[in-house]
Formats: sequence, C-alpha cells, structure tokens
Amino acid sequence: MKHSIRRSAAGLLLLFGVVAIATTYQQAVAGADYRNDPRNPRIVFDVLLDRRGTITTADGQVVARSVVREDGSHERTYPWGERYAHIVGYASALFGETGVESARSDDLRGPEPTSIEALLDRLFRGGAGPRDLELSVVHTIQAAAASALGEQTGAVVALDPTTGAVLAYLSQPAFDPNTLLDLTSAPAGERLTGDPAQPLVDRAARRVYPPGSTFKIITATAAVEAAIAYPDTLLLDPIALPLPGSTATITNFGGGVCGDGDTVSLEWAMAISCNTAFASLGMEVGADRLIEAAETAGFNREVPFELPSVASMIPARLDDLAVVAQTAIGGRDVRASPLLMAVLGGALINDGVMMEPHVVASVIDPDGDVAERVAPRTWRTAMSTDTASILAGLLEGVVDNGTGYRAAVEGLRVGGKTGTAEVPDGPPHTWFVGFAIAPGGDTVAVAVLVESGGDRGGEGTGGSVAAPVAREVFEAWLEWVEATP
Amino acid sequence: MTKKLETGLIIGSAGLVAGGTAIVADTRGAPDAGEIAVITAVFLASFLVLLAAVRLWAPAGTRVLLPPVSLLTGLGIVMVTRLDKDLGLLQSWWLLVGSAIAGLVLFLLRRRGVEVLRRFRYLFLVGAIGLLALPLLPAGAPLRGVTINGSRLWVRLDLGSSTLSFQPGEAAKLLVVAFLASYLAERRRTLIEMRRSLGSVRIPEPRQLLPILLAAGIAFAVLVYQRDLGASLLLFAVFVTMLFAATDQASYLLAGGILVGGGAVLAHRLFDHVQTRISAWLHPFDDPAGTGFQMVQSLFALGNGGLTGTGLGSGRPDLIPAAATDFVYAAVGEELGLAGSLAVLTGFALLVGSGFRISLRAGNTFRTLLAAGLTMTLAVQTILILSGVVRLFPITGIALPFLSYGGSALLANLVLVVVLIRISHEERS
Repeated sequence: MKHSIRRSAAGLLLLFGVVAIATTYQQAVAGADYRNDPRNPRIVFDVLLDRRGTITTADGQVVARSVVREDGSHERTYPWGERYAHIVGYASALFGETGVESARSDDLRGPEPTSIEALLDRLFRGGAGPRDLELSVVHTIQAAAASALGEQTGAVVALDPTTGAVLAYLSQPAFDPNTLLDLTSAPAGERLTGDPAQPLVDRAARRVYPPGSTFKIITATAAVEAAIAYPDTLLLDPIALPLPGSTATITNFGGGVCGDGDTVSLEWAMAISCNTAFASLGMEVGADRLIEAAETAGFNREVPFELPSVASMIPARLDDLAVVAQTAIGGRDVRASPLLMAVLGGALINDGVMMEPHVVASVIDPDGDVAERVAPRTWRTAMSTDTASILAGLLEGVVDNGTGYRAAVEGLRVGGKTGTAEVPDGPPHTWFVGFAIAPGGDTVAVAVLVESGGDRGGEGTGGSVAAPVAREVFEAWLEWVEATP
Repeated sequence: MTKKLETGLIIGSAGLVAGGTAIVADTRGAPDAGEIAVITAVFLASFLVLLAAVRLWAPAGTRVLLPPVSLLTGLGIVMVTRLDKDLGLLQSWWLLVGSAIAGLVLFLLRRRGVEVLRRFRYLFLVGAIGLLALPLLPAGAPLRGVTINGSRLWVRLDLGSSTLSFQPGEAAKLLVVAFLASYLAERRRTLIEMRRSLGSVRIPEPRQLLPILLAAGIAFAVLVYQRDLGASLLLFAVFVTMLFAATDQASYLLAGGILVGGGAVLAHRLFDHVQTRISAWLHPFDDPAGTGFQMVQSLFALGNGGLTGTGLGSGRPDLIPAAATDFVYAAVGEELGLAGSLAVLTGFALLVGSGFRISLRAGNTFRTLLAAGLTMTLAVQTILILSGVVRLFPITGIALPFLSYGGSALLANLVLVVVLIRISHEERS
C-alpha cells in the first residue's frame, strides 16, 4: 500500500513539474507573442485608458494631455486639433501611435511600474510615471505659419540653425487627431485615408518636391567650393541657352535677359533667379561636382529626425550636359523635402553646418525636474565656412533687391531663395528657403512650400506665394525673440 | 519547524495581505484604509483561530501545513480584492467561517481521533450522494439549485431577505474520501486477490470491478446532470488513485484510464459543452472572440505577465472571464509574473508533499488511506485547474484550492488541512 502511495505521490508531484514547465513556456517563451498579439486587448487599453504625459509648446501651450474620467481611466485630448497634428500625432486604440506620441511613447507612458527602471526612478528621480514633454515649437510662430498658409496646401518648417530646434512645423491640409482615438474611429480613419487631399501625409518631411530655383543654392555652393565663381564673377547672359545635343533651350522666367544681355554677375543672377546663367554655370561645374555638393548637403539620405522622413533625391548620374543644365536650376529628377531645405537654409548662417532637427526640447519627470534636455547635434557639414557666408550674402541680395523682396522684415537681416517649380500637369509648386538674423544675433531658418501656386494658382511664384508666408513667420519669430529674455 | 516559526510565518502572511491590499489600494484606488484593516484583521484572526485549535486539539501535529496554506489563502485574498474589492472582503469573512468550522472539526475529533469517522462511513456515502444531488433541487423552493455559467453545481438557500449560495460538491469530495478510506481499509483484501491473469497483467473479477464501475457511473451522472466536468473528473481520479493505493493493483489504474478515455469519447459525442471545451483547448485562436475567448484571454494574461509581472493592480486580469474563481492563477501570472505563479505552484507542491508524508507515516491502514486520499484530492484538483489555465488540458471549471474566490471551497479545503494535521498528531502522540 505504502509503495503505491509513494508512486502516486511521485506521479502527482511530477504533474506539478509538468504544470510548472507549461507555465514557464506560456509566460516566458510564448509570452512575448501573446503580449504583442494584436488581438490582445491590453494593447488597446494601454493606449486608450492609461495616463500619458502632457505635451506643451516652448511657450507653454498644452497640445496634448490626458483627462481623467470618472472611472479612473484616461482620455487623450489634443486641444489644438489640426494645428499640431503632424508634430504630436496621436495615440489611438485603433491606429496605434504616430508623431511625437510614437517617438516618445516610452517617456509619455512612463516605465512599467514593476521594472527596474521604475524602481530606480522612484529612488533617484522623484517618482516613476508618465513624463511630460516640452516641445521646441513656439505656439505663436506655429500660429503665424498657420494663418499665413491659410487654406493653401503646403508645408512650413522654421528652426533654429544653431541648435536644430524646430520652432514651427506645419503640413496642410491636416487632420484632427481627436477623431481617431477610440474604437469607434474606424469610419473617420477611412475618410481621411481616402481623402484625395491626403491630410494624413506630412508634407514637411514625408514628401519630396521638385525644388525649382531653390536648388540654385546647391549649384552656387558647388561653384564657389570649386573656385569656379564668386559673387562678382560674370556669367553668360543669353536670352536663350541652347542645350548641347538637343534643339531645346533654357529661357528665363518671363523671357528676356538677366543683365545687359552679354554677362551677368553671380550675385545678380541669384537675386533675380536667372535660369540661363545658372544653367551655363551648372554645365561649367559639371555633373560630378553638382551631385557631390547636393549629397554633401544631405540629398540621398534621410534627415535624422524624431518623426519619419524621406530622403531628398538627386540622381547618382547625370547623363549629359543638357541634363546637368536642367538639374542645376532644380529641374529634371531632383527632389527635396521642405525639412531638408530648412536645415540647408540654416547651414548658410551656421558656418555651413547642418544641425539635426528636433521637435522635443526636454523631458520632464513626474516631480517637475528636467529628466532630459535634448542636446544640439551636428548632422553634417554642407560647405565650408567661407562658402556659407558667401551664399548667405547672395541670398540676402535676393531679399534686398530680388525675387524674395516680399520676405523682408524691417529690423531683420533676411536672406532667402525663391523657387517656382514647373510640374507637368497644373500650376507650379512655389518655394521660399531662407533665414533671418535678429540684431541681437539670434537666427532662424525657414522653408516654405506651397503646392500648385497656392491661392494664386497658375500665376503663383515663389516670390509671390511662398515668400509672404516666410515673412509672417519671421515677424512672429522676431516678436518671440524680443519677448524672450 | 518550531511553534514560534509557524506563528511567525502566519503573521508574515498577514503582513502580505496588508501589504498586497495596500498596493492594490495604491494602484486601483480601492480598497480604502478601513477595508484594508478589516481584511487583514479578519485574515489574521482566522488563522489565529486555526492555530489555537491546532494547539489545543492536535498539539503534536505537523507545523509545516498551516504556513503555506496561510500564504496561498492570503495571496488569494489579495488577488480577489484586486479583481473585486467587495468579493475580497466577503472572502475574508468566508475564511473566518471556514476556520471556525475547521476548528470545530478538530474539537469534535479531540477524543477519539479520526478513527471515529469510520463509524459513519455509510452516512458519509449517503451524505455525499445527497450533497451532489442537491443542486438538482427544482427552482422555486426555499432551498434550490441554480445554474451558473452553464453548470448546475450551486445551491441557494433563501434566508428571509438574503440568500446564501454554496457548492455542496466541495463538501461532498471530503465525505467521499472519508468513505473510501474507511471502505477500502476493510475491503482491500478482497479487491487485491486476483486469480485470473492476461499474460503478466492480472485482471480483476467482474465482482471486483463493481465499485469502480459504480464510481464511474456517479462521476458520469455528475457530468450529465450538473454539466460539471471538473467535479466529475476529480471524483473519479481520486477514486481510482485511492483504489490503486489501497490494493497495489496497477490494473485498477489501467481500468480507470480506459473508463476515462471511453467516457471522454462518449461525452464528446453527446454533449455540446464538452465539445466546446475540447475545441477551445485544441484551437483557442480559431474563435478567439467566442468559444476560445476565456482560453485566449488567459494566455494573453500569462504572456503579459512575463517573468516578473505587471505588478499588483497594474495588469488587466479583469479581462479574463471568471478571473477571481477558475482563472485566479492567470491573474497571479499576469500581475506577479512567472515568479509569482511558480511560487504558488511551489506552495501547492509543499502541501502535497507534506500530505503524502503524513500518509506514509500513519500507523494504520485507514489513517494512511484517509491522509493519502485527502492529499490526492488537493493535488488532483490543483493540477486539473492549473493545467486548464496554462492550456495543458481542457478547462474543467473547478476552484483552485485556497486562492479562488468561493466560501464552500475554502471551507472544505481548510477542513481537509486540519484533518491532515490531526492525523499527523495522532501518529506522534
């Protein structure tokens, strides 16, 4: 009898061991799959019901916060709706996370309460829990950009060239993230996905456009770096530039010549955006140096950024001189994102150095201490210090005497390049890429893109459509600089 | 284990209840400080009652059983409180009632010991069958059966304005074990002698198979009339194992296995609820929102817990249907992680190991079989529900001893433990 009891005991204890193995398998081996299974409602409830940190602008406007409901769960709200949609994004039970909500999800949610990190936080950092974020974006500048852009489709990026801190970041049309949060938001999401205006697309970083004449910044950079041209160098000034190997010609905007019909200085060619002079300069610079200058300035690679971005593009080879000439004035297959152009505009007044753009300025602990202050980081050097200062001077000429005059602001040194990029079907995309320097030495860089000529349609140009938007951004920035000690 | 250590460990469990419910209060906003005090005080009082009863009426009994029981019960109260604060309070009162009744059992056994139970064996058998049949009482009577979650294993008693629900099956299992221990202690000889053999395996006479067929019949009746897969399997498994233990005849295990297999095939053919359970076990993700829902939610909870868990009150075990009863192990796994679930398993293994040790040291056949039977009941019940929760076996829908919410199960298991302690006392004094 006792022998059988002993055997029964051994059998039952063995079964306990089997249960222990099965438990270990389900929790430790298969556990990660169950945890991340999209059918696991915990994923939904984590996003939907947990408190997340508050997101504010540099000037204290709340742009995302969690509101406590009666049952103790939380509801995410975005008080400014569309205004910050492409920066902050959303944390949705149905569509997941985007924007800063995704990039800084770990901070906003806080460490898992039982993690080692949470324990260390409790001991040394004034409590574990959701952390708040302060953006570098300034609400008044963002508002000015929004009002200047109005109903036009396009993007505005303004940033501090010395730190990469983004001051305004707008893509229009946008969407209201508040409509996409809970489990009933599927129809709203489908509407936005199917909308031909593509409000979900971040036009500032996720889309590239023909840069038009703003690409002349690169052509001039290549020429100066190669010691081919300086501001007073005289370039050819034909009424029409024949393209080698073809019957096609390049002409100037509105026809005519740029100078005396014989020669034109680089300075003046830049100021009035002279196509014929730049096309011939481009051929002189040559394909290799043009491509190299563009790639040095960040083409063909993604801009390192908290939000997803796509690479601006220049072909790896430009087959013949005709293509080089057209590329030199921003035609053919060059494509640029507003984000890259803003960083490039900033490099001209930052010794040629391109800073990594960022929208989050600091992370705040639950007890109010700063947990992390985002440090400025150099991305790459686009050009030499000397070239940068020469280019900056050329661009100031554009605003002082040329096509960019509508961007001028009294009390600021403003420089910039306009662009009017012809597209096969429809009005041209209009650009302004530039910078402003305040009397105290503060600086800002701006890129404005307005699709399809904006409100002016076929009549629209970079100077008439995009430059005024930049001016309003500069004005709002100046006000903010003066108000901030 | 010294008395001091035993008392200290039990007070430690009370500290766990206080600390656990305080963490729950912190993360969930409930219970409040007053309720924490009540739960902890009632818990401590219950175990002090048990401890006092043991000191008075089984002073030489083993001291290794009560500490793990207090730990598991305390953890159960914390988890139940976390899932439903009111149930947690109720459970602590059930604990006090159960402790008092377990104390009363020790008091009744104080003179003549467990031997006295042998006298009442047929009363126990009739009582067990009566208890098992109670839920079949028609609705409308003051004492009536009710169907909960598709199983008819509850009895509800109207007491004026309030009602009292209980699961008579939990008490029945103790009576069945007491009956079997006594019956087998007397009849084992006749069941052992097998004259026929098939090759080297000796096979019993048809007459000798009668009891096992009877037990199988009762178990199957429970399955048919009460739709209670868990109780049915538990009763039958304990019966077969006790028969094997008493007779040393492995052929009874074989016969039992064949009967379970045949019964399973038959039940699968005949009953929708058995089919549903089986398919939810084999293919839970085929219908994760329907029949597989409970299984899938259990797996999600276990997976979410990972190694160290989400922390008390920070997971979502409330998403699992019946989290406070059948699936409390998944709730532990989610919030306390693999560390917590393996600790629970270790606690049970400790109880089962100690139970068998008491059985092996017992001086006569009846006490040996009684201790073995009670321990097997505890072990089989635990293994049945736990293997369901971790998807080793279909979900049988049975309480996890000491942890699940439920007064009847808690009461029955506390009585089970004090009887084990009493048996060990009798061997040492």
